Amino acid sequence: MLRITGGRVFDPANDIDGEVRDVCISDGRIVAEVEGDGIRTIDASGMVVFPGGVDVHTHVAGGALNFARAMTPENHRDAAKFTHSPELRAGVGGTTPTTFATGYLYAGLGYTTVNEAAVPVLSARHTHEELRDTPLVDKSCCVLMANNEILLDLLEEGETERAKHLLAWHLWAAKGYGVKAVNPGGVTAWKWGKDAKVLSEPVEGYSKVTPAKIISSMAAMVDELKLPHPMHLHCNNLGAPGNIDTTIETMKVLGGHRAHMAHLQFHSYGGDDWDTLRSESVQLAEFFNGQPNLTADAGAILFGDSVTITADGPWQHLLYQLTGRKWGNLDVENETGCGVVPYTYKGTNLVNAVQWAVGLELLLLIDDPWRIYLTTDHPNGACFWRYPEIIQLLMNVEFRRECIAKLPEKALERIHLPGIEREYTLSEIAIIISAGPARALGMPQKGHLGIGADADVALYNDDPDRERMFGHPRYLLKGGEVVVEEGDIRKMVDGRELVVRPAYDESIEEYLRPLFEQYYTMSFDNYPVEMERIEGADIRECG
Amino acid sequence: MKNRADFIIYWGGNPADCHPLHFSRYTLIPKGKHVPEGRKGRTMVLVDVRETPSAKHADILLQVKPGKDFEVVTTLRALVKNQPVDAARVAETGLTLEQLQDLVDRMKNARFGVIFFGMGVSMTRGKHMNSAAILSLVAELNAFTKFVSMPMRGHGNVTGADVVMRWTTGFPFGVSLSRGYPRFNPGEFSTIDVLVRGDNDATLVLGADPGATMPQPAIDHLSRTPTIVLDPKLTHTSRLARVHITTATTGISADGTVYRMDEIPLPLKPILKSPYPTDEEVIHRILEKVKEKPAWTPASFKEVPCA
Amino acid sequence: MITLTLKEQPGVPIEAEALSPDVVAELGHDEICALPIFLGKRQLRLDEFFEVEGEASEELEIRGDAGRIKWLGRGMTRGHLNIDGNAGMHLGAFMKGGTIEVSGNVSDWIGAEMSGGYIHIGGNAGGQIGAAYRGSLTGMTDGTIVVEGSAGLEVGMRMKRGTIVVKGMAKDFTGLEMKGGTIILGGAELRTGAWMNRGTIISLAPIPLLPTFAYNCSYNPIFLRIYARELAALGVSVPFEESEGTYELYSGDAAVSRKGELLIWKPAG
Repeated sequence: MLRITGGRVFDPANDIDGEVRDVCISDGRIVAEVEGDGIRTIDASGMVVFPGGVDVHTHVAGGALNFARAMTPENHRDAAKFTHSPELRAGVGGTTPTTFATGYLYAGLGYTTVNEAAVPVLSARHTHEELRDTPLVDKSCCVLMANNEILLDLLEEGETERAKHLLAWHLWAAKGYGVKAVNPGGVTAWKWGKDAKVLSEPVEGYSKVTPAKIISSMAAMVDELKLPHPMHLHCNNLGAPGNIDTTIETMKVLGGHRAHMAHLQFHSYGGDDWDTLRSESVQLAEFFNGQPNLTADAGAILFGDSVTITADGPWQHLLYQLTGRKWGNLDVENETGCGVVPYTYKGTNLVNAVQWAVGLELLLLIDDPWRIYLTTDHPNGACFWRYPEIIQLLMNVEFRRECIAKLPEKALERIHLPGIEREYTLSEIAIIISAGPARALGMPQKGHLGIGADADVALYNDDPDRERMFGHPRYLLKGGEVVVEEGDIRKMVDGRELVVRPAYDESIEEYLRPLFEQYYTMSFDNYPVEMERIEGADIRECG
Repeated sequence: MKNRADFIIYWGGNPADCHPLHFSRYTLIPKGKHVPEGRKGRTMVLVDVRETPSAKHADILLQVKPGKDFEVVTTLRALVKNQPVDAARVAETGLTLEQLQDLVDRMKNARFGVIFFGMGVSMTRGKHMNSAAILSLVAELNAFTKFVSMPMRGHGNVTGADVVMRWTTGFPFGVSLSRGYPRFNPGEFSTIDVLVRGDNDATLVLGADPGATMPQPAIDHLSRTPTIVLDPKLTHTSRLARVHITTATTGISADGTVYRMDEIPLPLKPILKSPYPTDEEVIHRILEKVKEKPAWTPASFKEVPCA
Repeated sequence: MITLTLKEQPGVPIEAEALSPDVVAELGHDEICALPIFLGKRQLRLDEFFEVEGEASEELEIRGDAGRIKWLGRGMTRGHLNIDGNAGMHLGAFMKGGTIEVSGNVSDWIGAEMSGGYIHIGGNAGGQIGAAYRGSLTGMTDGTIVVEGSAGLEVGMRMKRGTIVVKGMAKDFTGLEMKGGTIILGGAELRTGAWMNRGTIISLAPIPLLPTFAYNCSYNPIFLRIYARELAALGVSVPFEESEGTYELYSGDAAVSRKGELLIWKPAG
């Protein structure tokens, strides 16, 4: 049993905004009161008390990320080193941290829940094995389906009902939590070296299936299945000048269905080419503000080294051709693929300067902090362990102005950031790093400190240097266990993995099996992931 | 591959003998979704230093002189970009400029090409640079058409070891933890080099038989220093070792995950019980004993900074 | 001057990046004795393996066969490191300034990713001289390395600037993916200049060439007359007189760019 006392509590989900009050914990959950012997008291005077961070979109485990690890030994050499000890495993940080290091780094920010945003069904087993080796955080997976060829074939035949059951079957087979759509149709086309840039044009190899059809059908399926998290969508034309049109069109195509728009920064550009690329965050924010069915995460960039890892194969090939950097490409048969290109964002580069501004603009211009969350599409935009730098930029307009002053002059005409005065409050930060993502993910026991919530609690010094503050939690509790104390990791706990079990017609398996045996190269019985592979599985039935 | 590849190159490998199901399951025989004609819709090119049993499955045979693969692939990289090459020096490889230009034209005209490369590439003079050459060529071909490449890995769960090493240490092999955190340097920390130079003073061998395959100085070192072997059977290395622990056979009596050459994870479903413990059980028991010893990394360990 | 004499050969390699002029320049004798060195996984005091004489100096001398001692002179920026004997891998890696002299042989990765300074090897060297570590885009960016004897594989791999001289024979892949700088060779085995982007390789003996290198002309470049004087100051003799011979100029690597230069000396007669 534990009592945290004297700290200023920020629990926006329960309308608590900096009040000094106790937080009581028993058996891994928040409770109203604790009494009796054996209560540990933590004196949180001078600190703020936040619900543990929830990262709604990150890439930390699985085939694509592991491929990137192989490609970047030089980055591991320069990265933070984790030395092994009786409590801690060895590892490296950097742009693609190793699994144990990933857990330690998230705990080092006060984060307790992490959503792995892109999992191919065919290699989901690999992702779960890596997540099992990622300590201290709870995890969930979004399963890649928008380029699943058996699904697309059903859409081509107009068999949307059957497609829905197929989708549900795959979600359960992969032991996933949510459904991910990346560059719908584009990754399929990439298997022929092509892309899908026009939402209304049929996808390569199909005559009726268009990216628009995939987007609207899948969003509808996810809603009908009543999955806790809406379809998680990486729009077509990521990164391209002028892609604002695609993004707005996508939001219209969704037609009122729920969706979570991933790393919106990469989809908010005007201009016709790289020389005229500019920010269209104002237009996007205005449209987005009027779409209450949508949530988004920022996908902000920070200057420095990163590695781009995405299922958007065609985009990665283009980036390789533009930059001459290393390029890796993986195809996952019948389902998806990924491209990896290490990249460095430079403050002197005009395009990067615009991108840097856009991420912040979206966070500042979208009215409702409950609908826009802090991410960097780790590691694409910046490493997740740099989130505190973004918090500083959002909370401190003076500091923001100093950074803007360093941008190339030409960039200033292309961005809106200089005119924005808004500063985030602590309460709003608690929303964008915890309460909001938890709500979007449909995890009612996360992101708040109300009674019954998981006792995932972060205590930070109330430090005017917000970057230092959020980069060094004084305490972190995970499921009621004190895992970080005075900045050191004190205890190792294994997180749970949240898995969704949707309701579907099991006869879909009879439909799928012969097709699978025909198109794939493994035995159908080996395809679904066994439940025993999932460490600490927390199954949520729905539908 | 199965559903799309219409141009398949096997380079420095003999799949008919070493990967006997490759043609029939993945690349040549099956009717693919987009290659419904099966074998007839595909062209197979075999590049090797001699004719092997795989040759009878090939449509085009390119016999390259031993140790010349790097020169051939570098030439192809130039030809793909329409750059000039020296015909006489090309001919020294055993292949002519005309043959290589023809190959480039066919590769560019493929719908979906693939190069599989084997130990004839990765283990001959040039080693990793031969593999790098093929990977670079394939990356550059993507400017023209869809092309992929893959190494033909050795037996056992080599890919699995690679995958797990990467996610736990960041590096696929040749890893040293002597300074408390993972470091990577092939040639310095890779197995053969460490054993040949005698850079270690004890060896634990699991699922391998260096006593059968390594150079004599390495074998001598294994004999001279404490060597421990975990294996279902007595191996050449066991005979040099101080301790041999018999363990259950993976896949038959021990479960786990095996990673296919293309990194797809497959579950192992053991069918027989074994009287012996699994490798995993033995390692856990050893680790329990190691944990009882005092930690060797000093509490105040710091890397000595460069100036 | 500080003198360190190796007392015995280590059973496994020692890592001793603390042994550099920058680290010892201001340290007292006892502090030097207590410097950390790593025998395999164990951290030891320097004086467990070395006799230590002297203190607080930029002149550091190591005596004995230090062929299993790695990382000597790592990242040094000043002073002089003299090794009377052999030295191990990574000698002078990341070096920025100062000088290193070795009377004997050295192992792989000397001067890796260095950006300044001078390394002179009296005997033979291993591979990856002045090279980029695996995965890094760039090797040495400045500085000079002179090897009196032979060298191994991948000499000057991905170097960007600076000079490497190997008076003996180098093995395969000298100048691999070179970005700039100069390599001077007594001779080499296969694949010299493979995939080079820019830079100059001068070989004083005929070498096998990749098919992607094209003959340009035979000439006696003017820059070499001037450069030869600079090299003479380092004890490196490079011929340039027309009466003695001529250089065949090849450009390549056509697989990557054609801006790399390979000059091969052809003696007269």
